[in-house]
Amino acid sequence: MRARSTFEQELTDLQQDILRLASLTEETIYRAVQFLLQQDAAGANQIISGDVLIDKLAQEIEDKCVKLIATQQPIAHDLRLSITSLKFLVSLERMADYAVDIARATLYIYGYPLNRQLMEYTSKMSRVVQQMIKEALDAYVNNDAQRAREMCSLDDEVDFISAKIFQEAIRAMREKTQPQIVIPAVYFLLISRYLERIADHATNIGEEVIFLITGEKRELN
Amino acid sequence: MIKNNIWRAIINYFFILLIFLAILQFYFFYHLNLGWALLTSFIFALGLGWIFFKQVISPLKKINTVTKAISQGNLNQELPLYEQKEVSQLAQNINDLVRQQKKILAQITAEKNRMQTILNSMTEGVVALDNQGNVLLLNSAVENFLGVTREAYLGKNILNLIRNYDLERAVKQALKSERPITQEFQLIYPEPNFYYLKATPLKNQEQEKEGIVLLLRNITKEKKLDQMRTEFVANVSHELRTPLTSISGFLETLREGAIDDPAAAHRSLEIMSQETNRLAKLIDELLHLSKIEERRVVHRWQLVQLKEIINQVAVTFQPQAQQKSLTLTVEIPVELPSISGDPDLLAQVLTNLVDNSIKYTLPGGQVLIRATTYRDNVQVEVKDTGIGIPPEDLPRVFERFYRVEKARARELGGIGVGLAIVKHIIKAHGGSIKAESIPNQGSSFKVTLPAEVRSEM
Repeated sequence: MRARSTFEQELTDLQQDILRLASLTEETIYRAVQFLLQQDAAGANQIISGDVLIDKLAQEIEDKCVKLIATQQPIAHDLRLSITSLKFLVSLERMADYAVDIARATLYIYGYPLNRQLMEYTSKMSRVVQQMIKEALDAYVNNDAQRAREMCSLDDEVDFISAKIFQEAIRAMREKTQPQIVIPAVYFLLISRYLERIADHATNIGEEVIFLITGEKRELN
Repeated sequence: MIKNNIWRAIINYFFILLIFLAILQFYFFYHLNLGWALLTSFIFALGLGWIFFKQVISPLKKINTVTKAISQGNLNQELPLYEQKEVSQLAQNINDLVRQQKKILAQITAEKNRMQTILNSMTEGVVALDNQGNVLLLNSAVENFLGVTREAYLGKNILNLIRNYDLERAVKQALKSERPITQEFQLIYPEPNFYYLKATPLKNQEQEKEGIVLLLRNITKEKKLDQMRTEFVANVSHELRTPLTSISGFLETLREGAIDDPAAAHRSLEIMSQETNRLAKLIDELLHLSKIEERRVVHRWQLVQLKEIINQVAVTFQPQAQQKSLTLTVEIPVELPSISGDPDLLAQVLTNLVDNSIKYTLPGGQVLIRATTYRDNVQVEVKDTGIGIPPEDLPRVFERFYRVEKARARELGGIGVGLAIVKHIIKAHGGSIKAESIPNQGSSFKVTLPAEVRSEM
C-alpha cells in the first residue's frame, strides 16, 4: 500500500515536471518569435543562452522517468503515462531547439531591411503554431482527447501560410532592385520551416495525448 | 423497540398493581380472589401504560426522529410542546438549540458569502494553494485573466492552472523560504499580458506551513505607458539632437576657417538658421502639445462655422497640392450646423490632417475634405489616395513622436506630433477622431464634433 502511494506520487510529480518543461518551451517559442518580429538582438541572445536550462530540465525528467519505469514496472494507463512522458520530453526539447534556431536567425538578419509581408505571414503563422501548442497542452492537462483531435486541423493552416511565405520570399528575391533582401528572405524561409516543424511536434503531442487517454494509436496529419 | 417499551411498562404496572391488590385483599378480606385481582390489575395496567405511552414514549419517539434529522443536517425542524412538563422542556430545549444553530449557520454562511463577494469584486487575482501547490481557491479576477472556470482547476496543481515557469518557481521559493516573494512575469494566454505577483506563505497558529496565497495584478497598461514614456524621451532627445548636431557642425566649420570664405560662411549661416528655426518650431510644437494635453487651451469658446474654416484651409493648401499635381477637393453640404469651439485650434486640426494627406500622397493622387451631418454631430473627413498606414501601426499614429517610417517622415519635415495635437484638440472639444487606412490605397481620418453644444471647460 505504501509502495503504491509513492508510485502514484511519483507519477503525479512526473506529470508536473512535464508541464513545467512545457511551460518553459511554450514561453521560449513565443518569445523567440516576438524578438524576431521586434528585431531584438539582446532578447534573441537570451533565448539562445536559456536553452541550457531546458536541456538540463529535460535530462533530469528523462532520468526520473527511466528510473520510474525500471523500479515500479507500471502497467496499462500508468505505463502509457510513463512512455508518453518520455515522448513528450523529446518533442518539447526539440521544439525549444527550433525556438533557439529562430533566435539565431534573428541575429543573422539583424540590421537588414525586412519585408513587411514576410514579417506579417511569420507573425500569423507563429500565432497558429502557438495555438496548436496551447491546445495540445490543454488537452493533456484536462485529459481531453476531443480537444487533441480538433487541434490537429490547425496544421493545414500552418502549411497554407508556409506556402505563402515561400511564394513571397521567392518573389522578393527575384526583384533585382533590392539584392539586400535575399539574406533575410532566405532566413524567413528557414524560420517558416522551423515553425512548421514545431507544429508537427505539437501534433505529435496531440496524438500522444489521445493514446494516453484512449489507448488507441492515431495518425493525425 | 417502542412496542417492547409499552409492553414492558404495562407488565411492570401489572405486577405492581397485582401485588398491591393482593396485599389489599389479604389485609381487608383475609382471603385472595386471584381472578378479580388479575383482571383489575390488567385493566389498570393497560390504562396506565396507555397514559405513559401518550405522555412520554410517543413524544420521545417524535423527538428521536427529529434529532436524527437534525444530526443529518436538516435544521428546518420544530418540535410541538407536550403536556408532560419534563418532555415539554426537553422539546423546548431542542427547539432552542436548533434555532441557535440555525442562526450561527446563517451568520457563517453570510460571512462566507461576504468574503466570496469581496474576493470576487477584487480587480487583483487571488489564488490560494496548499503546501503541494494544489489550488484551494481562486477568485473571479483569476477566472477572467485566464479565461477558465474555477471548478475545473480546484485541487489541481498550479501548473495546470497557470502554465508559467517563472510563476511556479516563485511559488516554490516562497514555500521553501517561508517569506513573501514578489515578481513580474508574462502570460501568453489568453492574451499576452504582464502580471505582478506577490506570493505570501501562510502559517497557522502552531506556526506550521499552511499553503500560500498568490496575488496577481495585471500591469500590462503600466508596462505599455512606461515603454511609451521611455520612447517619448528617446524620441524628443533625438529630435532635439539632430538640428543641434548640424548647428554645432557648421559652427565648427566656421571656426576652422570657413568664416573667411564669404560663400561658405553664408551657406553655413543659412543652414544654421534653418536648423535653429526647426529647433524653435519643434520646441513650440512641444509646448503647444503639452498645453493642449493639460486642457488649458480652449478658452476662446465661440460659435464656429466649419464651412469657412474648411474652405480657408483648402485655399491655403491649394498651391501645395498643385505643386505635387494632386487634386484637392472639398465637399460641404449647403446646410452645415455650426459648432462651438476655438476656430484657430479647429483650423489647426484641419491643417495638420490635410498637410499629412498631401505629404503622404504620391503625385497624381487625390485629397478630399468632406463634411457631413451625422445625428447631432458634424463629421469632417480628410481622405487621400496616399501610401496608407499598415494596420499594426494604425492604433499608434496618435502617439507623440510615433512615426510609421521614421526616415521618410523626417525627410518630409515632420516631427511626429501633428496627429497627437489633432487628437488632443478634438478631445478638448468633446469630439472624437478615427483613422482608417488600407496600405497603398489611402487613409481616411474622420473627426466627429458635437454640433452647437457648448461644453463647460
